[in-house]
Amino acid sequence: MPQPLSSKDASLFRQVVRHYENKQHKKGIKTAEQILKKNPNHGDTLAMKALIMSNMGQQEEAFALAKEALKNDMKSHICWHVYGLLYRAEKNYEEAIKAYRFALRIEPESQPIQRDLALLQMQMRDYQGYIQSRKTMLQARPGLRQNWTALAIAHHLSGDLEEAEKVLTTYEETLKIPPPISDMEHSEAVLYKNVVMAEAGKVDKALEHLEQVGYRISDVLAVMEMKADYLLRLDKKAEAEAAYTALLERNPDNSLYYDALVRAKGISSDDHKALKAEYDAWVEKYPRGDAPRRIPLEFLEGDDFKQAADAYLQRMLKKGVPSLFANLKSLYTNPVKRATVQELVESYIATAPQSDGSAEGADNTEFLSSSYYFLAQHYNYHLSRDLTKAMENVDKAIELAPKAVEYQLTKARIWKHYGNMEKAAEEMEKARKLDEKDRYINSKAAKYQLRNNDNDKGLDNMSKFTRNETVGGALGDLHEMQCTWYLTEDGEAYLRQKKLGLALKRFHAVYNIFDTWQEDQFDFHSFSLRKGMIRAYVDMVRWEDRLREHPFYTRVAVSAIKAYLILHDDPDMAHGPLPNGSGEDDSERKKALKKAKKEQQRLEKLEAEKREARKAASTKGVDGEVKKEDPDPLGTKLVQTQDPLKDAIKFLTPLLELNPKSVEAQCLGFEVYLRRGKHALALKCLSAAHAVDASNPTLHVQLLRFRKTLDTLPEPLAPQVAEVVNAEFETLLPKGQNLEEWNNSFASTHKDNVPHQQAGLTCRQLLKPDSKPQCEQDLASTLDSGDITIETAFAGLELLNEWGSSQAAKTAYAQKASGKWPEATVFRLE
Amino acid sequence: MVDILPLSSYPSYIDLLPSIQTCNITNLPENYFLKYYLYHALTWPQLSFVAVVRPKNGYSKHSTADGAGVGSVAEQYPKVVGYVLAKMEEEPTDGVAHGHITSLSVMRTHRRLGIAERLMRMSQRAMAESHRAKYVSLHVRVSNNAALRLYRDTLGFEVETVESKYYADGEDAYAMRMDLSSMWMDWAEIERKDRERAAKDEKDADEGEEVGELGKKDAEKDNEKMVRVKVGRGLGVGDLVEKNESQPAAQ
Repeated sequence: MPQPLSSKDASLFRQVVRHYENKQHKKGIKTAEQILKKNPNHGDTLAMKALIMSNMGQQEEAFALAKEALKNDMKSHICWHVYGLLYRAEKNYEEAIKAYRFALRIEPESQPIQRDLALLQMQMRDYQGYIQSRKTMLQARPGLRQNWTALAIAHHLSGDLEEAEKVLTTYEETLKIPPPISDMEHSEAVLYKNVVMAEAGKVDKALEHLEQVGYRISDVLAVMEMKADYLLRLDKKAEAEAAYTALLERNPDNSLYYDALVRAKGISSDDHKALKAEYDAWVEKYPRGDAPRRIPLEFLEGDDFKQAADAYLQRMLKKGVPSLFANLKSLYTNPVKRATVQELVESYIATAPQSDGSAEGADNTEFLSSSYYFLAQHYNYHLSRDLTKAMENVDKAIELAPKAVEYQLTKARIWKHYGNMEKAAEEMEKARKLDEKDRYINSKAAKYQLRNNDNDKGLDNMSKFTRNETVGGALGDLHEMQCTWYLTEDGEAYLRQKKLGLALKRFHAVYNIFDTWQEDQFDFHSFSLRKGMIRAYVDMVRWEDRLREHPFYTRVAVSAIKAYLILHDDPDMAHGPLPNGSGEDDSERKKALKKAKKEQQRLEKLEAEKREARKAASTKGVDGEVKKEDPDPLGTKLVQTQDPLKDAIKFLTPLLELNPKSVEAQCLGFEVYLRRGKHALALKCLSAAHAVDASNPTLHVQLLRFRKTLDTLPEPLAPQVAEVVNAEFETLLPKGQNLEEWNNSFASTHKDNVPHQQAGLTCRQLLKPDSKPQCEQDLASTLDSGDITIETAFAGLELLNEWGSSQAAKTAYAQKASGKWPEATVFRLE
Repeated sequence: MVDILPLSSYPSYIDLLPSIQTCNITNLPENYFLKYYLYHALTWPQLSFVAVVRPKNGYSKHSTADGAGVGSVAEQYPKVVGYVLAKMEEEPTDGVAHGHITSLSVMRTHRRLGIAERLMRMSQRAMAESHRAKYVSLHVRVSNNAALRLYRDTLGFEVETVESKYYADGEDAYAMRMDLSSMWMDWAEIERKDRERAAKDEKDADEGEEVGELGKKDAEKDNEKMVRVKVGRGLGVGDLVEKNESQPAAQ
């Protein structure tokens, strides 16, 4: 029912709207209440009041009010619109879209409703809906350029490149004179059209267009890049050469330009002489650049390599460039080059005049300390590792330059590779103290504390650079500033300590940060149209679609899933760290569990007290808004989940979708789906992993486990599932296969590879439980391998836990490992 | 090898934003939400650059349309060792269009390679070319000698004033600036080309009339589009966009 107001109230209502627009919330509410006094059931006023309350953070009350408004006036577009806005504020976009559609049905001409609907369609990637909305908006206001651009974007993102180009051209044709050069919106729109053309594969047309319009486009570098790119793709070599030469003259620090230039010049990749000459010419032109000196080290061989490497090394060592080793290590996959570099730097030290107090010696100190530093990193690197030599060299470097942060930092890294994180953290702390104003080394020191499972010290370090007055202190600030690296490391440290609640707490925090980043794009759907920077906007939209492909997400998802798997397999872990489940004395375990529960209660009480103390103090944020305290700071609610596997799926789904080629992700997917009894999905993961790396050791064990699962199902799979699963699995591990033979063949094919040996042994003891003692012995024998790393050896120790081996077997293994790596702490069993 | 690449122009490396944010919070005490980085990347896409370690097998960029899963992670997300985040001053108090360096940092492990200098030069040039910035301004801690040497001695900045207690920890800042007008595009030349083209395209084109007025008109337009920004670290476009964002269909 339309609910007319008296003219006085109608004018008050307009005031409410104005107050809302100006964010004068209190005035808005007051005025609305004035109207409601006389018209208590006035839907539109109720709705406006609800909207203002929602903006003030009172979501629940706002929703109740908005529903009441709708009840009173189902035919009001304002009520529906507000209802949609409230849903949007809650990020329930589907319901918001429905509400907007109702509103639009009542008031088809409303621009604001149409616009709000369009924004959500974009956010939801409903491109067909978005195209419709943008068409309507264009018809309503064809004079606005951004309405044309928006429609073009809609077509472009929906995949209709021709239509996108057509829309842009249609608008351009309405321009009688070219807009001024300073009109960046125009400049960008023209360039955007060019990108659309190239993307449609019409590179020649795009080039022609760019040559016509490029001279008046303000993003000069982009025009140069695009032109060079097109020329090379069209094989117009002479022009491409000129284009890349021009780009290099702008920025000689971009190796991609050199790659392209060499192609344009048609220099064969075998013609090392010509290549070297080309790079030398650039060195002469820009003597300070790194790329033209560094790139030839990739292709040069033998004496040529030695000569070039010598010049390169000496120059950088003299300058004391700290990244020299990092810059060269990619050459190390070539053993000859690796040896040459080592030989060269060793020779510098052997022949260098020692610092004996003479002038020459003093000048040489930096060269010498840089050389020692280089060798320390060299011997610390996994392809050329000799930790004793690494330590010797770093100590010499430190002796020459005791204040050099990088040297001390390297010493800490050597300790890390020794498997002694305690010592590593200690040494990194020393590095931090050499330059307490530098956050980089502070971050490193904090990271090493976390690697040493010392969460408190880690945070303590971080707090030297955080805004500790933030709600939640330093940790609160790290959350607010979206410090994903710290939250991930902190969570992983808790995971290693089996403090699953806190681990999950951190992993979810990172998950939520990714949600925020996805949400962040929303405002740009309108903002970017006004700004007119369309290419960047379109790139952003596409990036957002694969946001969780980023390694930061992968890492946190993997860890979170591992935590949930532990929790599923041993629900008692919800109460805190417990000794390993199987094989332990039952009464011992009960005692441990009791203790853990007590500790958990103690921590919760402590946390509650802290919260009370903080409540007493002020909790107002900088902007005067009240920040909410976290009701579950220890992650107790997370860890007490009824269904850990279901929670794991939340992390797993984006992982599998965006990183399908990660074997680790697929193997984790298998673990989750197998436990959930989703055999088809578990198998899908196995197949995907198999396609990437058929002989992956984790996959090998999983194949056997899946076979055994299928052979011993408590009740048969549904016929359709069984048919598909059996047929598919037949290609991976045939039913008729003799499993022992299959496993033996795997083990002998990969006899030099320890992780594969470990997998083979795991399978053997699964197939023949009475072979376990022998398998345990064989596992210990893998420690004799020359190639085994500390990490792999530690994985072997964890394997014994998995097998349910006796304490004696574990001790024997650990002792042997300790003998091999006396500095390592991971094998010291308490 | 470290490459200096555009952040969000062509080709776009916008997917490195989380890595850039991490580089910032690892190195510097002044940190920002990712949205603030996005705001820079999408408002002035020409001005920000990123320094990355070239992956061993080169980069595998996403094809523009849909390239999920192309190449290895290392090739898609190379290690970020530095960045410059820059903008145009939105409401210049002196009324002169100029650029501003919001944040610049290079990992400690990658110093002495001239990365910061290159990042600065790329950004400065883009400010002049794309936005006709008269000058570029920045703030630097008075104790930061290395940065001061770069800005003053290498790049040619001059100290404008000392801003007392500019930083949260109470340290003063030098406000520095450098003129960029020598790098401006030659608009007269472009306008000449416009006229040539117009004469060629349409014989009856009426030329030479509008030219003088064009610049002015646009300055007005820019004023209309101007957006208010809070100073500080935790800002995002949420605070920036004009108020009509979620205005109801009333009236």
